[in-house]
Amino acid sequence: MDFLLNAFLAPLQETYFQKALIGGSIVAIVSAVVGCLVVLRRMAFLGDALSHAMIAGVAGGYLVMKLLFGYEAHAPGMLLGSLLAAICTVAMIGFVSRVSRVKEDTAIGIMYTGIFALGVMAVSIFRHYIHIDLMHFIMGDVLGVADTDLWTSAFVAATVLSIIILFFRHFQMTTFDPIMAASIGLPVLLIDYLLTTCVSLVVVSAVSMVGVILVVGLLITPAATAYLLSDRLDRMMMLSALFGFTSVVGGLYLCVWLDSAGGGAIMLFCTLQFLFVLAVAPRYGMLARWLRLRRMVPQPVLEDILTTTYRHGKTATMATFKEFVDGKKHLNRALSQLVANDLLQTEKEGYSLTAAGEKEAEQVLRAHRLWETYLHSIGSPEQEWHETAHHLEHVREEGTIEYLDDVLGHPQQDPHGKEIPAKQP
Amino acid sequence: MSTDIAVEVQNLTVSYQAKPALLDVSVKVETDQLVGVIGPNGAGKSTFIKAVLGFVKPDVGKVLINGQDARNARGKVAYVPQRGAVDWDFPITVKEVAMMGRYQEIPWYRNPTKKDQDIAMDALAMVRMTDFAERQIGQLSGGQQQRVFLARALAQGSDILLLDEPFAGVDAATERAILDVLERAKNAGKTLIVVHHDLVTAAEYFDKLILIKQRLYAYGPPTSVLREDLLSEVYEGKLRIFADVLKKERA
Repeated sequence: MDFLLNAFLAPLQETYFQKALIGGSIVAIVSAVVGCLVVLRRMAFLGDALSHAMIAGVAGGYLVMKLLFGYEAHAPGMLLGSLLAAICTVAMIGFVSRVSRVKEDTAIGIMYTGIFALGVMAVSIFRHYIHIDLMHFIMGDVLGVADTDLWTSAFVAATVLSIIILFFRHFQMTTFDPIMAASIGLPVLLIDYLLTTCVSLVVVSAVSMVGVILVVGLLITPAATAYLLSDRLDRMMMLSALFGFTSVVGGLYLCVWLDSAGGGAIMLFCTLQFLFVLAVAPRYGMLARWLRLRRMVPQPVLEDILTTTYRHGKTATMATFKEFVDGKKHLNRALSQLVANDLLQTEKEGYSLTAAGEKEAEQVLRAHRLWETYLHSIGSPEQEWHETAHHLEHVREEGTIEYLDDVLGHPQQDPHGKEIPAKQP
Repeated sequence: MSTDIAVEVQNLTVSYQAKPALLDVSVKVETDQLVGVIGPNGAGKSTFIKAVLGFVKPDVGKVLINGQDARNARGKVAYVPQRGAVDWDFPITVKEVAMMGRYQEIPWYRNPTKKDQDIAMDALAMVRMTDFAERQIGQLSGGQQQRVFLARALAQGSDILLLDEPFAGVDAATERAILDVLERAKNAGKTLIVVHHDLVTAAEYFDKLILIKQRLYAYGPPTSVLREDLLSEVYEGKLRIFADVLKKERA
């Protein structure tokens, strides 16, 4: 008990942990909310592009503020620089994919690596003027959050969240149905740019915590997790924010307990959280999907049970079904489904057909015997008739059987001399 | 039948570089009609839609919506998208989609009012989707999905509805159900302009047909539009199919 209490409470008393928790949570929550729109608009790659492009902006902002005003590592300057770099990148991506045959994903790849490279070059060439730790930039340092970073991210979060809440309907509609949005006079392009600006702001404020590489995960993973659980955008955003928050809390504890990198721990926790939800989500999860598939009894199994009972005379037992019906694993469920649909009824030793079940079985039998007659007529070898017809008897939709009946000239008997049941209305 | 004009297209020419998408098209669509727009692929049907929605700047001519230039009449024409253009996995419920029809009336600084809610729910009731209000749109059948978007168009309150291939990719029963809703909307005083690709059903479904291929080939009741000479000119070389259509039409 003491040990547990210690494991959870001790880090909380450390200032660096408190700052990481507060800063990380702010960034994660706002990323997660914006991320919902990013995921729904299929712009995930853009987040990646923006984070990489940022370094050029940071270097530029640093340099300008230092050379013109003498400020060292001026945070707002670097923020503005990043924002400009991000918007430039987006504009150039749009430009390249519009004027050339190069598709958008390729344009994104070209532009963000190019601008990233420009940033890296700038940082290394001007290393005597600007002091940016490239490693820090790439990996982030959530445990070394500075007070200025905290203030910047709080400011960004407040701005972006206000914009999203105020213009929620606009974002929802331009994402869901841009044509209608334009038809009622919404400034679709402006809203797109507003969203891109929000994403850039969020990315810029998150990079100092988790680094360039992981920031896109913080943007899209909580949103994707929430996507698996929600049927409404507002709930998706709230859930996503919650998942962003839990990722930071879980990740930070993971990081102090295992003494690992902060950003890595947060993203790992976030990803595990996603995988867990993917497995157990009630409607869109894998377990739910698997259960749904398992519950579905294939139509052939149902029909085989009916014909088996019909051929068997009065009552068919479980053993009979096991012998004649393929698909044993569905048997119990198929039987209860047939009983529920009033096609079978339970007897003392087994099951018998109801009147409706008998009719249905006769129709399957009719299909079987017509198919056999057809196989005979096209000259397939006799030993194959039954087996092929057994497979084909389930193909009955879209007037298939009536077609066969017409083509064969309404035969009364199949090639074995058995009577073909009449068509039921 | 009243003779008011809902949509008037005057000498409309829209071009992309040297190629005209629409050439000198003039049509007057009267109110309370179910009008089909037909023509082969690449005939300028989607440009026609864009023009009526006020998205394109015509080279010459204009589109008037209730007498007002389409480019200044945003929201006067309610648009129902093609099924394929909708993200059916989007986290949105039936009721929220219907509510979108009200967005043009709601200023950005306030929330939808009770009145907006009522209008959205009334629209859902009209297409008999009230019971599904809380469902996510992906969990509906094809016909139900189309009805939800119709409800949205009705909630917009516009008298003119523009539908892009509502019958594409649905089965025969669903097609009937959708048509039923369109006719109810028409009887409620709406003008419906429907882009349609199936000539076989065109005669049966619509009061009037617009046959375009860049230029306007015919506008009028189906019997006067679905003529062998016209169709063979518009759908060059594919006449064999239409011989059947015309036979069916005469029968």
